[in-house]
Amino acid sequence: MADLTTRYLGLSLKNPIIVGSSGLTDSVDNIVELEKAGAGAIVIKSIFEEQILLEAESSLRKAYEDDMIYSAKAEALDYLDLHIKEDTLSNFIKMVREAKSETVIPIIASINCVSPVEWTSFAGRVEQAGADALELNIALLPSDTRMGTGEIEQIYFNIIDKVLSQVKIPVSIKISPYFSNLAQMISKLSATGIKGMVLFNRFYSPDFDIYNLTEKSANTLSTPAEMSNVLRWIAIMSGRVECDLAATTGIHDGKSVIKQILAGADAVQIVSALYMKGLDQLQLMLGELESWMDEKGFNYIQQFKGNMSQKQGTNPAAYERIQFMKYFSEIR
Amino acid sequence: MEQLQEILKEERQQAWREELRKSMKAKERTDMPRVKMLEQDPVERAANHLEVNLGLMEKMAVSEARRCLDCANPTCISGCPVGINIPKFIKRIEKGEFLESARVLKETNTLPAVCGRVCPQEVQCESECFYKIKLNKEPVAIGYLERFAADYERNSGNISVPEVSEHNGIKVAVIGSGPAGLAVAGDLVKWGYDVTVFEALHEIGGVLKYGIPEFRLPNEIVDVEIENLRKMGVKFVTNFIVGKTSSVEDLKEEGFEAFFVGSGAGLPNFMNIPGENFSGIFSSNEYLTRINLMNAASDEYDTPVVSGKNVAVIGGGNTAMDSVRTSKRLGADRSMIIYRRSIEEMPARVEEVKHAQEEGVEFMNLNNPLEYYADDRGRVNKMRVQKMELGEPDSSGRRRPIPIEGSDYFVDVDTVIVAIGVSPNPLIPASMPDLEVSDWGTIKVNKETMESSIPGVFAGGDIVRGGATVILAMGDGRKAAAGMHEYLKVKARNK
Repeated sequence: MADLTTRYLGLSLKNPIIVGSSGLTDSVDNIVELEKAGAGAIVIKSIFEEQILLEAESSLRKAYEDDMIYSAKAEALDYLDLHIKEDTLSNFIKMVREAKSETVIPIIASINCVSPVEWTSFAGRVEQAGADALELNIALLPSDTRMGTGEIEQIYFNIIDKVLSQVKIPVSIKISPYFSNLAQMISKLSATGIKGMVLFNRFYSPDFDIYNLTEKSANTLSTPAEMSNVLRWIAIMSGRVECDLAATTGIHDGKSVIKQILAGADAVQIVSALYMKGLDQLQLMLGELESWMDEKGFNYIQQFKGNMSQKQGTNPAAYERIQFMKYFSEIR
Repeated sequence: MEQLQEILKEERQQAWREELRKSMKAKERTDMPRVKMLEQDPVERAANHLEVNLGLMEKMAVSEARRCLDCANPTCISGCPVGINIPKFIKRIEKGEFLESARVLKETNTLPAVCGRVCPQEVQCESECFYKIKLNKEPVAIGYLERFAADYERNSGNISVPEVSEHNGIKVAVIGSGPAGLAVAGDLVKWGYDVTVFEALHEIGGVLKYGIPEFRLPNEIVDVEIENLRKMGVKFVTNFIVGKTSSVEDLKEEGFEAFFVGSGAGLPNFMNIPGENFSGIFSSNEYLTRINLMNAASDEYDTPVVSGKNVAVIGGGNTAMDSVRTSKRLGADRSMIIYRRSIEEMPARVEEVKHAQEEGVEFMNLNNPLEYYADDRGRVNKMRVQKMELGEPDSSGRRRPIPIEGSDYFVDVDTVIVAIGVSPNPLIPASMPDLEVSDWGTIKVNKETMESSIPGVFAGGDIVRGGATVILAMGDGRKAAAGMHEYLKVKARNK
């Protein structure tokens, strides 16, 4: 019987399937259920920097609208954003602590941040609460025309630098693919001292309701078709980075897990598959992985990890542009 | 409202008012500059705890009262949270009838000597003065005149003590002896109730005593009001924490039939930044209470506070001003205000900021602390501060402070006072699970009666509003007293 254990961020995982940051991981009860369902590790639902600001803004507005609450030149409301932030952070820390006490699998805390400023001391508290690792979801959509490429990229390094100076637990980052030279960026980021990188986060997908002429959300959940871009970059960067790699987006079945590991991923993160198919999907995926390993004669994950990466694979050009041209030239 | 307008109109048409208006042309009145309050010299007062504002002399008060145009539509009243009949009390001053002016004030304001000193008139009555809104001139000094009339009455020895109705034997409990509690007690005892005020601290007066320093509100002013209440028959029990010493249920068993919760908002807030637990870092509550109530400034007493030479006060409200100015009086070489927004956006009263500046307080605006450091004995000796810039406005209309990356620097400190606002006292809500509270921890009440979700339990002041003002607390207290009176009448009828 195949041994599914793996190491990610220096942590021992009983299997390479991590449940990613989502509504599935927003409570201790849910996290306990996911452990029972077979998850190798959990990423607690992210705390969002903008969410805290929005909540503070909303609370302030409510205070101004409540005519029983004194708001004109009120000292009590002057630092409200700080108190809201502290409440939100305290609740998050409490969840980390409780999740750690109720489970044995690694618990990874997640912060969705857009600046290096707010998280320095918080990272230390997350570590004290017992989190096994910290995932920084740096979700910067490069839509600001005033910012140069270098400026945006520098934010990533500043955030990492700040957090690494505060904690000893492993830190990973989750990034988007929006860089002018993604390979170089991934390589440079991997050399900062982080222990892992998660490729790629998904941004909010806009759509239009053309009948009501309003914006709406599209593609809340991922589709299997979204996996291939991740597969490409895991395969390209595997063996070329100084940290672990985790694949996320579009991983909906056991085959996808296998593919990502063949590409070089140390672990995968899943969310949409469980939303769509329920927690039982975890066991199904693990079963598929195990059966395939048995069939192929692999006893350990390490035996096939990265075998089809660009560095180790037999067809390195498979991930490059030239293959694209060849592929499409064959379509009639 | 219409009824009130009618009353105001009738009063304005009284002969004495008309005579006063005719005694001076409007232009003469509006050409007069606003009176300047007499103040202690800044250098002198920064070394003592005596009251900074010295009050108006009689001629000054009468002169300032003349500036009031006795408007047909007195917009100033709409700016007063308890609707003091402002033109009426001011015109009594103009007429030289100072005791009568005090009487007018006391029709709506139980504590005019206090409010005249601590109310933020610049955002209340004075902000609605005709001078300000129509003439773009300095408003009539309503606050100074209120203080004048109240002080005159007190100093004359002719303080009017309201008549007390025949005792009805009904016991009511007032929890908290701050302005809300004192106002409730005053009205209920007048109507014949057996009133007991329970106070957690050893001194009566709530924030009036523990929070506001002597140099802004001398304790003797508050003591006069408390003594009046004692004369009227109000009982005070100190060192008694309702919710701990006894519960409301326990008091019900002792025969109390209605309750007013005026326990205030004295729960300190901290920033929760690294090092905030080091020795020498206080909440403003603790710092001011120790000095104001426990003589911590004097070596002769058992509970000293070591107020150092380099004192940083974090915050920008009145409490921060009180704290930093107190530190100056305790001998600090540097008394610093560290506030993350600009000076214009500080919630503190303009007068307090001005007085602080005159006394040598350093204002380090657009700065925010990040971390504290300590010596090997665990006493704070340094703080790391970051500069801020102002971004887009938030819901309050004030621009949001945004940290400037890489702008950190160090400041030597040996005392830090955190004055970033307070939260409602959690004791009563925690001891009464059925009591409905808001997201802020304030007790929810019926706006008209001030009754909470528990019948017979009323509340007002900061425990309902969050940290607010004395006059609002007092207004709540008076409304609650009326609510309790109705409640008890109905209860008695139904027995």
